[in-house]
Amino acid sequence: MTPREHASENATESDRPRGDRGGLDQPTGLHTVPDFEAARTHVLTELVRFTDELRQAGVDVPATGTLEGARALAVVGFADREPAGDALRAALLSEAADREAFDEAFPPFWHRLRTGIDRIATHEGTSTSDDDEPEPAGSVALEGEASELLSETEPPSLEGDDGDGSERAEVRLQTGRRHATGERPIDEDEDGDAVRRYSAVGGRERVAATPASLTDAERDAIDRFVNALATVPGRRTQQATAGERIDARRALRSSLGTGGTPMDLPTRDPVPSELHCCLLIDVSGSVLDTVDRDTLLAVAERLQTVARRSSVFLFDTDLVDATEQFERAGGDPAAALRAAEISWGGGTQIGDAFETLRRQHRDAVDRRTVVIVISDGLDVGEQSVLEEQITWLARRAAAVLWLNPLAVASTYEPRTRGMETCLPYVDGLFGFAEPTDLAEIARQLERRGLDGPIGYEYDPRRQQPAEPTPKSGEGHE
Amino acid sequence: MTGETPELAVEAIDEATLRERFEAQHYVADDRVVTTVQLALQLGRPLLVEGEPGSGKTELGKVLADGFETELIRLQCYEGLTAENALYEWNYTKQLLAVQSNEGTVTADSADAGGTRSVFDDEYLLERPLLRALTAGGDRSPILLIDEIDRADEAFEAFLLELLSEYQVSIPELGTIRAENPPIVILTSNRTRGLSDALKRRCLYLHVEPPSFETEYEIVSRKVPELDAAIAAEVCAVVERLREESFLKRPGVAETLDWARAVATLRANGSDEPLSTDEIERTIGCLLKEVEDVTRVDTALLEQLHAAAAAADDRLESAET
Repeated sequence: MTPREHASENATESDRPRGDRGGLDQPTGLHTVPDFEAARTHVLTELVRFTDELRQAGVDVPATGTLEGARALAVVGFADREPAGDALRAALLSEAADREAFDEAFPPFWHRLRTGIDRIATHEGTSTSDDDEPEPAGSVALEGEASELLSETEPPSLEGDDGDGSERAEVRLQTGRRHATGERPIDEDEDGDAVRRYSAVGGRERVAATPASLTDAERDAIDRFVNALATVPGRRTQQATAGERIDARRALRSSLGTGGTPMDLPTRDPVPSELHCCLLIDVSGSVLDTVDRDTLLAVAERLQTVARRSSVFLFDTDLVDATEQFERAGGDPAAALRAAEISWGGGTQIGDAFETLRRQHRDAVDRRTVVIVISDGLDVGEQSVLEEQITWLARRAAAVLWLNPLAVASTYEPRTRGMETCLPYVDGLFGFAEPTDLAEIARQLERRGLDGPIGYEYDPRRQQPAEPTPKSGEGHE
Repeated sequence: MTGETPELAVEAIDEATLRERFEAQHYVADDRVVTTVQLALQLGRPLLVEGEPGSGKTELGKVLADGFETELIRLQCYEGLTAENALYEWNYTKQLLAVQSNEGTVTADSADAGGTRSVFDDEYLLERPLLRALTAGGDRSPILLIDEIDRADEAFEAFLLELLSEYQVSIPELGTIRAENPPIVILTSNRTRGLSDALKRRCLYLHVEPPSFETEYEIVSRKVPELDAAIAAEVCAVVERLREESFLKRPGVAETLDWARAVATLRANGSDEPLSTDEIERTIGCLLKEVEDVTRVDTALLEQLHAAAAAADDRLESAET
């Protein structure tokens, strides 16, 4: 324990009325010296428990968190609540999103810590505990009950200082971290408080309003997909045989063999690392029945975020530009999707949709843009129109990838009219039903590139179940 | 802590001194910032600062450097930032000439042979910000500000790990260089991407919150002293109201200061009339930087802003009492 810590404990000890206790119960003898060892153990135990609670609440506390927390506490001491809270916050948190969980878990922790220290300082077991508010709870109740007691008695006093606490609490729900705070739903003391806490816990609308929830694996899959597709050079460079920039480091090395005269100049070239993409989403009923809407929106939103430039179009019988809805912070892609769904419906005309793209949104596709079509290819439009438009698209864009929800089936073959028409012009036809499917596409792209043999037929997941269990016909219309 | 020698001003700094230094630099910091910075200084840990653009993250580094009268070494991160740009690079031209004129050689072990020295020597080393932060002379630790770390590649982040935890770097040809006065490291991030756990584990974390009305008023009145106090309050009230809207880019403190200066400049004659809706509308470009945001400011919102401005004086008085 550092001297600082002792000091702070002494401080808390000294500002407490002394007359209420005798030196009879502790072997330390001197009646003003608290039991440092016990206090230290108590602080460490509480700290470990606190970090544990935070972890259970979904906070990403580093492995060394407890250690850092203890060091930080030792610096600021624990005489005052605010500095101690700030210190622990700095040491234990690393994400802005975790602040709320911390704010929720900290007060009970602090209360436990303080009561424990006070109890040790005033030597536990004395019956005169009328000097301080939290004292009775701490000294009368047993250890386990004490924490529960305070988690119930504490909140009213502290929620006074931030009135919007209940509103913020609503957002936290999904992680289910309220279990970790030790709060119990039975709140006997105050009805008002009980009601507020309950509503905070039960806010359902909020959860429904944020559909774009991807798991880390899914997000990684999308990011990997975007990286694999990248067509625009970024700032990173790699060795190249006839690149634009001279690699001075290697030039020096290679010049040594010729006595310091650089005979050949190794070069570097920028690596394509940025993606310009144009996402065309078929919102016909047949697609939306196969792919989850929220997933579709989440994928589109993520693509929009990760790619350097991207545009999103929804199409069915016609085509509408939804880029802005995805781009804007306050935009509502779900509403755009719903609107598109209602206004059209019935019979996808991919050719016509592409024609609209060509006439009205020409700039969305250029020679560096990768066009990603999410559609099942069930087309009822004119075949000649479709052929003409897909030819234009394939010629103009850097690549056209077709993600077909039906192609995830192991027996899928592109036999629909629309798909058959488009297939020769498409660089890759893949199955897509969930974000992780993009990881498989990324894998193929990484290995073989856009020009290589890629497509649903090379998906290893497809080959295996196809032979032993021939399930019939999901893939056929 | 108490074991440190008092001369090492930076490590032994206490809260009151820190507050004083911030005060002297006109940096309005709340308790949380002060405590966290104090911790970072005392524990010798890098400090990772996150927050909205324009919330004063970079400013914190500058203020610390000025406050402690030490050197500020700034590394602006960007995509594709490499070790050569950030840490060190060999002066290839010089090396090449040395090799050609037979003054140097490249093999380290034959260093003394024939009076030639290795060209992989301090003399041929170009220091970039990170290496300079480690080797900076003087008795004071420099402040190393690694700005917008989230813009750099993940590989670069990994490359920072050795530097941040050990305050040393390894140069293959030269060996390990260790800092005598470990720099005080401030990293800032705008959260355009998540940072790796390894990096986060090594840092103390500070999230800079948007300031409250009172704090912002203090900032404005300190930084833009030429603006009338009542108008400054109105400016803050308008910005506070604007932040409630769901704009693409909400105005940060930097924008508030811009706007306050703009308002002060336009009122060169020193008039202290309250802000008018017309005035707000004409200067809104200081606060909102996206065309979609600007078009969202309609008459109704302008009226509300005006009302917020009108109520500002009362709020200020009630806050002071």
